[in-house]
Amino acid sequence: MKLIESLQIANARQEGPLFRVLLACGFTPLHLQTAVKAHLRLGLPTRSIEVRTGVYGDLGGTLENATEPLDAALVVLEWGDLDPRLSWRSPGKVSGEVISDARVRLNRIEKAVAILAERTIVAVSLPTLPMAPVLHTRSGELQSVEAALLEMLYGLAASTRAVVLHPKTFRQGSEHDLRSEMMNGFPYSFSHADALAAGLVRFVLPPAPKKGLITDLDQTLWGGILGDDGQEGISWDLDHKTGFHGVYQQLLNVLADAGILLGVASKNDAGLVYNALARPDLVVEPRHLFPIEAHWRPKPESVERILEAWNVGPDSVVFVDDNPLELAQVKAAFPAMECLEFHKDDPGFLLELRDRFGKREIREEDKLRVASLRNGQVVRQAVDNATLDSLLAGAEATVIFRWGKQPPDPRALELINKTNQFNLNGVRYTQAEWNAYLSDRATHLVVVEYEDRFGKLGKIAALAGRERGEGFELDVWVMSCRAFSRRIEHQCVKLLLGRWESLQLMYERTERNAPMMDFLADAAPGCREIRRASFNRWCPQLFHKTESINA
Amino acid sequence: MHNEQRLIRCFQAVFPDLTETDVARASVSRLAAWDSVATVTLAASVEEEFGIQFEADEIEKMNSFQSFLKYVATRSGA
Repeated sequence: MKLIESLQIANARQEGPLFRVLLACGFTPLHLQTAVKAHLRLGLPTRSIEVRTGVYGDLGGTLENATEPLDAALVVLEWGDLDPRLSWRSPGKVSGEVISDARVRLNRIEKAVAILAERTIVAVSLPTLPMAPVLHTRSGELQSVEAALLEMLYGLAASTRAVVLHPKTFRQGSEHDLRSEMMNGFPYSFSHADALAAGLVRFVLPPAPKKGLITDLDQTLWGGILGDDGQEGISWDLDHKTGFHGVYQQLLNVLADAGILLGVASKNDAGLVYNALARPDLVVEPRHLFPIEAHWRPKPESVERILEAWNVGPDSVVFVDDNPLELAQVKAAFPAMECLEFHKDDPGFLLELRDRFGKREIREEDKLRVASLRNGQVVRQAVDNATLDSLLAGAEATVIFRWGKQPPDPRALELINKTNQFNLNGVRYTQAEWNAYLSDRATHLVVVEYEDRFGKLGKIAALAGRERGEGFELDVWVMSCRAFSRRIEHQCVKLLLGRWESLQLMYERTERNAPMMDFLADAAPGCREIRRASFNRWCPQLFHKTESINA
Repeated sequence: MHNEQRLIRCFQAVFPDLTETDVARASVSRLAAWDSVATVTLAASVEEEFGIQFEADEIEKMNSFQSFLKYVATRSGA
């Protein structure tokens, strides 16, 4: 983006609830403030953006004084924040004491960042500009003082709860505008300020990561054509110059461990495929691949069945194939799906593929996802073969309700912000909004865990609301689609009506919450209220063992 | 686009509430919003738009739309 475009976007009239951001830096924020506001406005078109800044030359103080409510904080470090002697505006003689002085300053910043990160999302960028020429060594040599300072900065990155931008992202050689730094105290070229702002805002408003990857097999998961070369003729190793496929398989393991769903769509003989996937030297763990669609029917049919098994939309899935025709067919059938041609021997392909699924934290539920989907299929098949009552009666299910909001379970906000189908109203929350909501004394939060003889689903639902006299106003109710068909939703209502006489539902119809509407159509005609007496008359038999735990 | 139109675009990016007529008459003394940050922002957007670079002492003299217009005309040879 150019400066003039950035100004036009940042200065245009804005409406909507306020989104407050602190931009903390030790230099004059000038065009960085404009660029941050412009990128936030592009990402949050329905909000009014306010970007606050601090005091020149006092990054630690700016962070410590940030006690007002914030939706996000962006912390931009430069060498002068560690010690002014390292800056281009006021360079000074550097001796060993600069390390201890810098440690004191950085500790102060680190402590303030830690406090801020407890109540809002914080994104930090480490110094992106070269240090002033205050050291006697040549540019190519990593001098011991600089190495010690870098060690401190990387120590902060390793221990902080804040998101830290990788400094390698910004090494292009055109970052520094020394003339501007000398004249105005603003050290960046606008292109660098824009890139930095975009990077920081991306961490504050991360794009929703993709949920699943559907892969082809021949010339993709492995080198060679299974039907022609046989199961021993396909390869993914250095000896056969097909090592790139082995790296791809390892990436699939990494994604699966992070809870990404992996499916296979291959035009192949099913028997051959199952034998090939049983090879002991396969890098990708076969248990990660579900479902496997191996047959000769068109790929879009396979993709459709995989989406159905996963119960996710095409916009949440990436399809990878080496055949442009297959890619075009799938794209035509599912325009919202991202279809990528497999690029052999291109490291950028794998890195960019990984980034589409990137997530900061891996939770217990991520590890359970594939197993619970497989089990879900077992449950559905069992339902087809028996009545739901007889199935649930023998499921040995346990539902655990965990009450408590101090500290709030981060899984609750994750569920709220990614669940579409069984969602009371589709309302999303930022971390700061969620913290503010929970800070109301009348608010209650309950996170629901489930396990039965088919397997553990983990934390699959969250409910939150406010006590209103004899009743409970339910603002938030989300449940993972993996938990459907087990009457967990009924058990949730029963639990709440055990405490309160009635539930007032803050229900709103969304494009995708039909499962919630279907449930409420029976439980709460009009979708506004459920009363204890009427629920008890309507509720089907529940077989779960329940446990209610107060945190 | 003429220099004047391009310069008006720069001014309106910094002062979005000004009409073209207002911009033509804009100066530090007539416009409360025109502070030192606005001067630096204007100078940077004019530099970007016209591919020129101000000297530090030249920026200090840029105190009206007309002074910017005159400077741009001199530097771009128009």
